[in-house]
Amino acid sequence: MNAAALYFVNGMESETSAIARGLRRRDPDLLDRLIEQYQHRLLRYLTYLTGHRELAEDLFQETWIRVLERGHQYDGKHEFSTWLFSVARHLCIDSMRKKNPVSLDGLLDDSNDARAPLDPVDIRPTALEIIAQHEHAERINAALTCIAAEYREAVVLRFQEGLTLDEIASVTGAPLGTIKSRLYRGLNLLMPLLKGAQA
Amino acid sequence: MTRDVHQQAREWIALTGVDGQGLSDAQQSQLHAHLRECELCRQYADATGHLIRSLRSVPMAAQPALVRRTQARVRQHAQLLRQHRERLWMVGIACAGIGFSATVTIPIMWRIFAWLGAWAGVSGPVWETGFGVFVIAPALLVSVLLLLRGTHLTDDAGRWHH
Repeated sequence: MNAAALYFVNGMESETSAIARGLRRRDPDLLDRLIEQYQHRLLRYLTYLTGHRELAEDLFQETWIRVLERGHQYDGKHEFSTWLFSVARHLCIDSMRKKNPVSLDGLLDDSNDARAPLDPVDIRPTALEIIAQHEHAERINAALTCIAAEYREAVVLRFQEGLTLDEIASVTGAPLGTIKSRLYRGLNLLMPLLKGAQA
Repeated sequence: MTRDVHQQAREWIALTGVDGQGLSDAQQSQLHAHLRECELCRQYADATGHLIRSLRSVPMAAQPALVRRTQARVRQHAQLLRQHRERLWMVGIACAGIGFSATVTIPIMWRIFAWLGAWAGVSGPVWETGFGVFVIAPALLVSVLLLLRGTHLTDDAGRWHH
Protein backbone atom coordinates (compact mmCIF):
# COMPACT_ATOMS: atom_id res chain seq x y z
CA MET A 1 0.00 0.00 0.00
CA ASN A 2 1.48 3.33 -0.99
CA ALA A 3 1.65 6.40 1.25
CA ALA A 4 -1.33 8.14 -0.33
CA ALA A 5 -3.55 5.08 0.05
CA LEU A 6 -2.37 4.61 3.65
CA TYR A 7 -3.15 8.26 4.38
CA PHE A 8 -6.60 7.87 2.86
CA VAL A 9 -7.34 4.69 4.85
CA ASN A 10 -6.09 6.25 8.08
CA GLY A 11 -8.16 9.36 7.42
CA MET A 12 -11.26 7.27 6.82
CA GLU A 13 -10.63 5.24 9.98
CA SER A 14 -10.20 8.36 12.08
CA GLU A 15 -13.44 9.76 10.68
CA THR A 16 -15.41 6.58 11.37
CA SER A 17 -13.83 6.36 14.84
CA ALA A 18 -14.90 9.95 15.52
CA ILE A 19 -18.44 9.06 14.41
CA ALA A 20 -18.42 5.98 16.68
CA ARG A 21 -17.26 8.07 19.65
CA GLY A 22 -19.89 10.72 18.97
CA LEU A 23 -22.64 8.12 18.67
CA ARG A 24 -21.62 6.58 21.99
CA ARG A 25 -21.98 10.06 23.54
CA ARG A 26 -25.26 10.59 21.65
CA ASP A 27 -23.84 13.87 20.44
CA PRO A 28 -26.80 15.79 18.92
CA ASP A 29 -24.55 18.02 16.79
CA LEU A 30 -22.91 14.99 15.23
CA LEU A 31 -26.32 13.46 14.53
CA ASP A 32 -27.50 16.69 12.90
CA ARG A 33 -24.45 16.61 10.66
CA LEU A 34 -24.92 12.93 9.79
CA ILE A 35 -28.60 13.44 8.99
CA GLU A 36 -27.67 16.22 6.57
CA GLN A 37 -24.78 14.29 5.09
CA TYR A 38 -26.68 11.05 4.44
CA GLN A 39 -30.18 12.47 3.85
CA HIS A 40 -30.37 11.86 0.10
CA ARG A 41 -28.67 8.48 0.06
CA LEU A 42 -30.74 7.09 2.93
CA LEU A 43 -34.04 8.39 1.61
CA ARG A 44 -33.31 7.09 -1.88
CA TYR A 45 -32.40 3.66 -0.51
CA LEU A 46 -35.54 3.50 1.64
CA THR A 47 -37.73 4.76 -1.18
CA TYR A 48 -36.54 2.09 -3.56
CA LEU A 49 -36.65 -0.57 -0.88
CA THR A 50 -40.24 0.14 0.12
CA GLY A 51 -41.54 1.47 -3.19
CA HIS A 52 -43.44 4.14 -1.24
CA ARG A 53 -42.17 7.64 -0.68
CA GLU A 54 -44.34 8.33 2.41
CA LEU A 55 -43.37 5.08 4.12
CA ALA A 56 -39.75 5.80 3.24
CA GLU A 57 -39.98 9.21 4.93
CA ASP A 58 -41.43 7.64 8.08
CA LEU A 59 -38.67 5.05 8.09
CA PHE A 60 -36.11 7.78 7.45
CA GLN A 61 -37.01 9.36 10.79
CA GLU A 62 -37.21 6.03 12.58
CA THR A 63 -33.80 5.07 11.26
CA TRP A 64 -32.18 8.12 12.86
CA ILE A 65 -34.00 7.48 16.14
CA ARG A 66 -32.61 3.94 16.03
CA VAL A 67 -29.15 5.29 15.24
CA LEU A 68 -29.42 7.49 18.32
CA GLU A 69 -30.55 4.61 20.53
CA ARG A 70 -28.13 1.99 19.24
CA GLY A 71 -25.24 4.16 18.17
CA HIS A 72 -22.99 2.41 20.68
CA GLN A 73 -23.23 -0.71 18.49
CA TYR A 74 -21.35 0.99 15.63
CA ASP A 75 -17.73 -0.07 15.97
CA GLY A 76 -16.15 2.61 13.79
CA LYS A 77 -14.13 0.02 11.86
CA HIS A 78 -16.41 -0.05 8.84
CA GLU A 79 -18.01 2.62 6.71
CA PHE A 80 -20.79 4.41 8.58
CA SER A 81 -23.03 4.26 5.51
CA THR A 82 -22.89 0.46 5.51
CA TRP A 83 -24.05 0.33 9.14
CA LEU A 84 -26.69 3.00 8.48
CA PHE A 85 -28.17 1.10 5.53
CA SER A 86 -28.17 -2.05 7.63
CA VAL A 87 -30.14 -0.30 10.41
CA ALA A 88 -32.57 1.12 7.84
CA ARG A 89 -33.02 -2.27 6.21
CA HIS A 90 -33.90 -3.96 9.50
CA LEU A 91 -36.43 -1.25 10.29
CA CYS A 92 -37.91 -1.58 6.84
CA ILE A 93 -38.32 -5.34 7.20
CA ASP A 94 -39.88 -4.92 10.67
CA SER A 95 -42.27 -2.31 9.34
CA MET A 96 -43.33 -4.41 6.37
CA ARG A 97 -43.79 -7.50 8.50
CA LYS A 98 -46.13 -5.57 10.76
CA LYS A 99 -48.17 -4.42 7.80
CA ASN A 100 -48.00 -7.62 5.83
CA PRO A 101 -46.55 -10.76 7.38
CA VAL A 102 -44.50 -11.85 4.41
CA SER A 103 -40.79 -11.58 3.78
CA LEU A 104 -39.25 -8.58 2.08
CA ASP A 105 -38.48 -10.78 -0.91
CA GLY A 106 -42.14 -11.34 -1.64
CA LEU A 107 -43.41 -7.85 -1.01
CA LEU A 108 -43.57 -6.65 -4.55
CA ASP A 109 -45.08 -9.81 -5.93
CA ASP A 110 -48.50 -8.48 -4.97
CA SER A 111 -49.72 -7.04 -8.25
CA ASN A 112 -52.90 -5.70 -6.64
CA ASP A 113 -50.93 -3.34 -4.51
CA ALA A 114 -51.18 0.05 -6.14
CA ARG A 115 -47.74 1.52 -5.79
CA ALA A 116 -47.46 5.21 -5.36
CA PRO A 117 -45.03 6.62 -7.87
CA LEU A 118 -41.68 7.54 -6.41
CA ASP A 119 -41.22 11.22 -6.17
CA PRO A 120 -37.87 12.34 -7.45
CA VAL A 121 -36.83 15.86 -6.61
CA ASP A 122 -35.18 17.45 -9.57
CA ILE A 123 -32.92 20.46 -9.80
CA ARG A 124 -32.85 21.63 -13.42
CA PRO A 125 -32.43 24.94 -15.11
CA THR A 126 -35.07 24.92 -17.88
CA ALA A 127 -38.68 23.80 -18.16
CA LEU A 128 -37.94 21.51 -21.10
CA GLU A 129 -35.15 19.82 -19.24
CA ILE A 130 -37.37 19.49 -16.20
CA ILE A 131 -40.00 17.64 -18.23
CA ALA A 132 -37.46 15.44 -19.98
CA GLN A 133 -35.61 14.49 -16.81
CA HIS A 134 -38.79 14.00 -14.86
CA GLU A 135 -40.05 11.58 -17.48
CA HIS A 136 -36.69 9.86 -17.50
CA ALA A 137 -36.67 9.55 -13.70
CA GLU A 138 -40.25 8.30 -13.64
CA ARG A 139 -39.43 5.69 -16.21
CA ILE A 140 -36.48 4.43 -14.21
CA ASN A 141 -38.43 4.48 -10.97
CA ALA A 142 -41.30 2.59 -12.59
CA ALA A 143 -38.88 0.00 -13.93
CA LEU A 144 -37.23 -0.40 -10.54
CA THR A 145 -40.55 -0.98 -8.84
CA CYS A 146 -41.32 -3.72 -11.35
CA ILE A 147 -38.46 -5.96 -10.26
CA ALA A 148 -38.37 -7.96 -7.04
CA ALA A 149 -37.28 -6.08 -3.92
CA GLU A 150 -34.10 -8.08 -3.35
CA TYR A 151 -32.88 -7.40 -6.90
CA ARG A 152 -33.82 -3.73 -6.66
CA GLU A 153 -32.01 -3.40 -3.36
CA ALA A 154 -28.81 -4.90 -4.77
CA VAL A 155 -28.93 -2.71 -7.89
CA VAL A 156 -29.63 0.47 -5.91
CA LEU A 157 -26.90 -0.19 -3.36
CA ARG A 158 -24.35 -1.03 -6.05
CA PHE A 159 -25.02 1.50 -8.76
CA GLN A 160 -26.75 4.36 -6.98
CA GLU A 161 -25.09 4.28 -3.58
CA GLY A 162 -21.78 3.00 -4.87
CA LEU A 163 -21.30 0.28 -2.26
CA THR A 164 -18.88 -2.55 -2.92
CA LEU A 165 -20.13 -6.12 -3.19
CA ASP A 166 -18.73 -6.89 0.27
CA GLU A 167 -20.50 -3.88 1.75
CA ILE A 168 -23.79 -4.93 0.14
CA ALA A 169 -23.34 -8.40 1.60
CA SER A 170 -22.74 -6.79 4.99
CA VAL A 171 -25.84 -4.59 4.74
CA THR A 172 -28.16 -7.36 3.58
CA GLY A 173 -26.60 -10.22 5.52
CA ALA A 174 -26.65 -12.32 2.35
CA PRO A 175 -23.67 -14.32 1.04
CA LEU A 176 -21.46 -12.67 -1.58
CA GLY A 177 -22.51 -15.19 -4.22
CA THR A 178 -26.15 -14.36 -3.65
CA ILE A 179 -25.44 -10.65 -4.01
CA LYS A 180 -23.63 -11.24 -7.30
CA SER A 181 -26.52 -13.31 -8.54
CA ARG A 182 -29.07 -10.66 -7.50
CA LEU A 183 -27.12 -7.91 -9.24
CA TYR A 184 -26.76 -9.88 -12.44
CA ARG A 185 -30.41 -10.88 -12.51
CA GLY A 186 -31.56 -7.43 -11.43
CA LEU A 187 -29.70 -5.73 -14.29
CA ASN A 188 -30.94 -8.30 -16.78
CA LEU A 189 -34.51 -7.73 -15.61
CA LEU A 190 -34.14 -3.97 -15.82
CA MET A 191 -32.55 -3.94 -19.25
CA PRO A 192 -35.66 -4.76 -21.31
CA LEU A 193 -37.74 -2.44 -19.13
CA LEU A 194 -35.40 0.47 -19.75
CA LYS A 195 -34.47 -0.24 -23.32
CA GLY A 196 -33.67 3.06 -24.98
CA ALA A 197 -33.42 5.05 -21.76
CA GLN A 198 -30.56 7.49 -22.02
CA ALA A 199 -28.66 8.96 -19.12
CA MET B 1 -16.55 -19.32 -27.67
CA THR B 2 -18.76 -21.42 -25.45
CA ARG B 3 -21.90 -20.15 -23.78
CA ASP B 4 -20.14 -20.24 -20.39
CA VAL B 5 -17.54 -17.75 -21.57
CA HIS B 6 -20.25 -15.33 -22.72
CA GLN B 7 -22.11 -15.72 -19.46
CA GLN B 8 -18.93 -15.23 -17.46
CA ALA B 9 -18.16 -12.06 -19.39
CA ARG B 10 -21.69 -10.72 -18.83
CA GLU B 11 -21.53 -11.47 -15.13
CA TRP B 12 -18.26 -9.57 -14.86
CA ILE B 13 -19.78 -6.65 -16.74
CA ALA B 14 -22.84 -6.64 -14.51
CA LEU B 15 -20.86 -6.87 -11.29
CA THR B 16 -18.21 -4.32 -12.09
CA GLY B 17 -20.27 -1.82 -14.03
CA VAL B 18 -18.44 -2.25 -17.35
CA ASP B 19 -15.25 -0.50 -16.27
CA GLY B 20 -13.89 -3.75 -14.89
CA GLN B 21 -12.94 -2.30 -11.53
CA GLY B 22 -12.82 -5.02 -8.93
CA LEU B 23 -11.62 -7.63 -11.42
CA SER B 24 -8.09 -8.95 -11.34
CA ASP B 25 -5.70 -7.91 -14.13
CA ALA B 26 -6.04 -11.34 -15.72
CA GLN B 27 -9.84 -11.16 -15.61
CA GLN B 28 -9.81 -7.65 -17.10
CA SER B 29 -7.55 -8.78 -19.93
CA GLN B 30 -9.79 -11.78 -20.54
CA LEU B 31 -12.90 -9.59 -20.54
CA HIS B 32 -11.42 -7.01 -22.91
CA ALA B 33 -10.17 -9.69 -25.25
CA HIS B 34 -13.60 -11.29 -25.29
CA LEU B 35 -15.35 -7.97 -25.91
CA ARG B 36 -13.08 -7.33 -28.91
CA GLU B 37 -14.18 -10.62 -30.42
CA CYS B 38 -17.84 -10.89 -29.41
CA GLU B 39 -20.31 -8.43 -30.89
CA LEU B 40 -23.23 -9.63 -28.73
CA CYS B 41 -21.33 -9.22 -25.47
CA ARG B 42 -20.11 -5.81 -26.63
CA GLN B 43 -23.74 -4.80 -27.16
CA TYR B 44 -24.54 -6.18 -23.72
CA ALA B 45 -21.71 -4.10 -22.23
CA ASP B 46 -22.98 -0.96 -23.99
CA ALA B 47 -26.54 -1.61 -22.82
CA THR B 48 -25.33 -2.21 -19.27
CA GLY B 49 -23.31 0.99 -19.39
CA HIS B 50 -26.38 2.96 -20.53
CA LEU B 51 -28.50 1.33 -17.85
CA ILE B 52 -26.04 2.11 -15.06
CA ARG B 53 -25.64 5.71 -16.22
CA SER B 54 -29.44 6.00 -16.27
CA LEU B 55 -29.70 4.66 -12.74
CA ARG B 56 -27.05 7.07 -11.53
CA SER B 57 -28.73 10.02 -13.23
CA VAL B 58 -31.93 9.85 -11.19
CA PRO B 59 -31.91 12.65 -8.64
CA MET B 60 -33.83 12.07 -5.44
CA ALA B 61 -33.48 14.48 -2.58
CA ALA B 62 -34.94 14.62 0.88
CA GLN B 63 -37.13 17.63 1.46
CA PRO B 64 -35.52 20.19 3.80
CA ALA B 65 -38.64 20.03 5.99
CA LEU B 66 -38.16 16.29 6.47
CA VAL B 67 -34.54 16.81 7.44
CA ARG B 68 -35.44 19.55 9.92
CA ARG B 69 -38.27 17.47 11.36
CA THR B 70 -35.96 14.50 11.77
CA GLN B 71 -33.25 16.57 13.41
CA ALA B 72 -35.76 18.06 15.85
CA ARG B 73 -37.19 14.64 16.66
CA VAL B 74 -33.75 13.15 17.21
CA ARG B 75 -32.75 16.02 19.52
CA GLN B 76 -35.99 15.66 21.49
CA HIS B 77 -35.50 11.92 21.77
CA ALA B 78 -31.89 12.40 22.86
CA GLN B 79 -33.09 14.70 25.61
CA LEU B 80 -35.65 12.13 26.76
CA LEU B 81 -32.98 9.44 26.82
CA ARG B 82 -30.70 11.73 28.83
CA GLN B 83 -33.50 12.47 31.32
CA HIS B 84 -34.28 8.77 31.59
CA ARG B 85 -30.62 8.00 32.30
CA GLU B 86 -30.41 10.80 34.86
CA ARG B 87 -33.55 9.47 36.55
CA LEU B 88 -32.06 6.01 36.72
CA TRP B 89 -28.95 7.51 38.33
CA MET B 90 -31.10 9.29 40.88
CA VAL B 91 -32.98 6.07 41.68
CA GLY B 92 -29.66 4.24 42.04
CA ILE B 93 -28.21 6.92 44.32
CA ALA B 94 -31.41 6.97 46.39
CA CYS B 95 -31.32 3.17 46.76
CA ALA B 96 -27.68 3.28 47.85
CA GLY B 97 -28.45 6.05 50.36
CA ILE B 98 -31.43 4.17 51.78
CA GLY B 99 -29.39 0.98 52.07
CA PHE B 100 -26.57 2.80 53.84
CA SER B 101 -28.85 4.63 56.26
CA ALA B 102 -30.79 1.42 57.02
CA THR B 103 -27.55 -0.42 57.77
CA VAL B 104 -26.52 2.34 60.16
CA THR B 105 -29.87 3.07 61.83
CA ILE B 106 -31.46 -0.38 62.21
CA PRO B 107 -29.06 -1.59 64.95
CA ILE B 108 -29.51 1.71 66.80
CA MET B 109 -33.32 1.55 66.49
CA TRP B 110 -33.23 -2.07 67.64
CA ARG B 111 -31.45 -1.02 70.85
CA ILE B 112 -33.87 1.88 71.35
CA PHE B 113 -36.89 -0.44 70.95
CA ALA B 114 -35.31 -2.95 73.38
CA TRP B 115 -34.76 -0.16 75.91
CA LEU B 116 -38.32 1.14 75.44
CA GLY B 117 -39.68 -2.41 75.84
CA ALA B 118 -37.78 -2.90 79.09
CA TRP B 119 -38.80 0.57 80.31
CA ALA B 120 -42.50 -0.11 79.52
CA GLY B 121 -42.27 -3.63 80.92
CA VAL B 122 -43.58 -5.37 77.76
CA SER B 123 -42.46 -8.80 76.65
CA GLY B 124 -39.82 -9.36 73.96
CA PRO B 125 -42.19 -10.46 71.13
CA VAL B 126 -44.31 -7.32 71.63
CA TRP B 127 -41.56 -4.73 71.22
CA GLU B 128 -39.94 -6.85 68.47
CA THR B 129 -43.26 -6.81 66.55
CA GLY B 130 -43.47 -3.07 67.11
CA PHE B 131 -39.97 -2.71 65.71
CA GLY B 132 -40.89 -4.82 62.67
CA VAL B 133 -43.94 -2.64 61.94
CA PHE B 134 -41.83 0.52 62.41
CA VAL B 135 -39.26 -0.71 59.89
CA ILE B 136 -41.66 -2.12 57.29
CA ALA B 137 -44.43 0.52 57.51
CA PRO B 138 -42.73 3.22 55.34
CA ALA B 139 -41.94 0.73 52.57
CA LEU B 140 -45.53 -0.60 52.65
CA LEU B 141 -46.92 2.93 52.55
CA VAL B 142 -44.76 3.90 49.53
CA SER B 143 -45.72 0.68 47.72
CA VAL B 144 -49.42 1.33 48.21
CA LEU B 145 -49.03 4.93 47.02
CA LEU B 146 -47.15 3.84 43.91
CA LEU B 147 -49.78 1.21 43.12
CA LEU B 148 -52.54 3.75 43.55
CA ARG B 149 -50.76 6.13 41.24
CA GLY B 150 -50.58 3.39 38.60
CA THR B 151 -46.85 2.73 38.45
CA HIS B 152 -45.44 6.04 37.30
CA LEU B 153 -42.40 4.32 35.78
CA THR B 154 -44.62 2.51 33.27
CA ASP B 155 -46.24 5.80 32.32
CA ASP B 156 -42.84 7.35 31.75
CA ALA B 157 -41.71 4.37 29.67
CA GLY B 158 -44.87 4.58 27.58
CA ARG B 159 -44.37 8.27 26.91
CA TRP B 160 -40.72 7.60 26.20
CA HIS B 161 -41.53 5.05 23.49
CA HIS B 162 -44.07 7.31 21.81
